Order: sequence, then structure tokens, then C-alpha cells
Amino acid sequence: MTDPATAAGTAAIAITMAGLALGTISIRLVGVALGRSLPQRGPWARGLKALPGCLIISLVTVLLVQNGPQEWIAALVALVVACLTRSLPITMLCGIAAIYALRHSGLFL
Amino acid sequence: MQHEASQKPHPSNPDSGEALRAARDILPLAIGVAVYGAAFGLLTAQAGMDGLEVGVMGLTVFAGSSQIVAVERLVAGAGASLAIIAGLALNLRLLLLTASVREIYAGRPWWQVILGAHLTSDENWALMLSRRAAGEIVGFWYMVGSGVLICTVWIAATVAGNIFATAIPEPRALGMDFAFTAAFIAIACTMWRGWSDALPWSLAILVATGVGLTSIVDTSFGIVAGGVGGAVLAGALGHD
Repeated sequence: MTDPATAAGTAAIAITMAGLALGTISIRLVGVALGRSLPQRGPWARGLKALPGCLIISLVTVLLVQNGPQEWIAALVALVVACLTRSLPITMLCGIAAIYALRHSGLFL
Repeated sequence: MQHEASQKPHPSNPDSGEALRAARDILPLAIGVAVYGAAFGLLTAQAGMDGLEVGVMGLTVFAGSSQIVAVERLVAGAGASLAIIAGLALNLRLLLLTASVREIYAGRPWWQVILGAHLTSDENWALMLSRRAAGEIVGFWYMVGSGVLICTVWIAATVAGNIFATAIPEPRALGMDFAFTAAFIAIACTMWRGWSDALPWSLAILVATGVGLTSIVDTSFGIVAGGVGGAVLAGALGHD
């Protein structure tokens, strides 16, 4: 289903694939090296230990900032369900059900 | 001897039990990945890519959002260099992901380090950490097992989306675009370590909101800025 109006050239596709693949594995490996080179104790170690939680909460924040009140309410539903059940699949199901219901109801647009 | 019987095998040897458990644990997230993979496959068809190119890209890059952004740039006519820069900017957070689980690579041969690093994605990295927060002892092979499953699903879904481009429903119409937001909320809940996290997390949310709203480059810089900001505060505040 190639649309000549939007299709990128074969060379551009190949260069993008190679550049993205090489660049991405380099970033991942630099991370490993960086983690190894940081000290095991002290402020750096404490920061690195706190990093995952801070990254996750930042990720959730950015995802929500890009959306509106319906997503914020669905996120609140997901948060309550997550706290009560501690279950990943149940939280995902309830979050999806909540956003589906909100969008089809037309409320809180 | 009790001591010997309870010893784990050498950590470099594959722990298939842990890998299989990880593959099972990540299934709910894999469904979300499949939906996004199919939608991305549609975009690759618009870019004029064939199924083989899409499969090779999934296997060699394995960073969904950057693939989406790069191909979207290509479709917009931005050219290869800008497509690569946009994709790599989005992937800078992967550096923080692999750095934050440094202990799983300790003492491993180089090929395992490359394999584990390549298979580290938002989904299995977060899942592994949430299992640890819940008290389970999981590590390298958990990351590899869940990573292999997610990567396989991603490749299959993107290639299928490319081939059957016209039959793909829009994720938003099904509410499936919210799948990952809900998943990361659940994972954040299990990673809350107590009130010592309150200040770093608050700063992370503030910075991520500020950068996310104002960034002229990309909202994803809010993730990196928020994560680093919170971690720096935790490092400066806490005591060993």
C-alpha cells in the first residue's frame, strides 16, 4: 500500500534504520557504563536508587499533561484501583474501561 | 548439604524459570504493545516500507516510540538525519533506564551485557522494578525473558500492521491509548518506597509538568528532566 505522495525513498529508510539502531544500542550501553562508573555509596548511589521511581512518575506526568480532564479522571480511577488491588492487569482493564466510558458519555470534555 | 542445595547456579547461566515467569508476567503489557505495533505498522506502510524492513527495524532498534517518531518524520518529508535525531532524542531516557539497573550487568560476559541492554524497554524495566519492590528476587534473566516476549510481539504486530494496513482500528476509539498510562500508574504505586519518596516525586512531577508543557523540542524531555531532578534531590537529601 505504497502512497507515492508520502513514501520516503529506499535510501532514506535504510539510513534511518541503521542510524537509529546504532544510536539506540549506543545510548543503552553508555547507560550501563555510566551506572558502573558511579560510586556504590553516597549521594550518587542514593540518586541512582531513587531514579526509577522518579522516572516512572515523570512518565505518567508527561502522558497526562498531554491529555485533558477525561484522562485525568480515568487516571484517578486507575490510581485507586492500583492502590486497592496492587494488580497490573486489573488496573489496566479498569483504566481502559473508565476512559472508554468517559469518552462515549461525552462528559468532562 | 543444606548450604549447597540452596545455592543458585552461576548467574551467567541462563535461568529459564525466571525468564519464563517474566514472559508470563508481561503478557498484559504485551497486549498494549501489540495494539501500538499494529498502529505503527500502518504508518510504515504509508512511508513505503515493506514487511521485511519493518521486522528488521523492530529487531535492531527495539524502541517503539522512537521508531514511530522517526518514521513519522520520514513520512512528513523531513529526511533521514532529522528522523534519526528526533528518534534518538526520545531514546535518551534509555540511558537512565540501563544505568539505574547497573547491578544486573555486574560480572556478566560482554554479549550478555549487550543482549540485556538491547532488550531493556520502558515496559519490562518498570515491571522488573515493581516486582522487586514487591519483594521478589528478580534480575538479568527476568529482563531478558520479558524483553524477548515484548520484542517478539512488537515485531509480529508491526509487520502484521504493515501487511494488513487497511484493516487496523484506531487505538483511541477502543480506549487502548490509555493502556500504558494505566499500567505505569499501577507500577508507580508498587514502587512507592514510603514518605522519603514524597519530596523527590513531587519535584519530579513539577519539573516534568513544566518541561513537558513548555518544551519546544519534545515533551519527552520532561521525562528525563523530571527523573533526573527527583533523583538529584533524593541524592542530596537522604542518608545512607
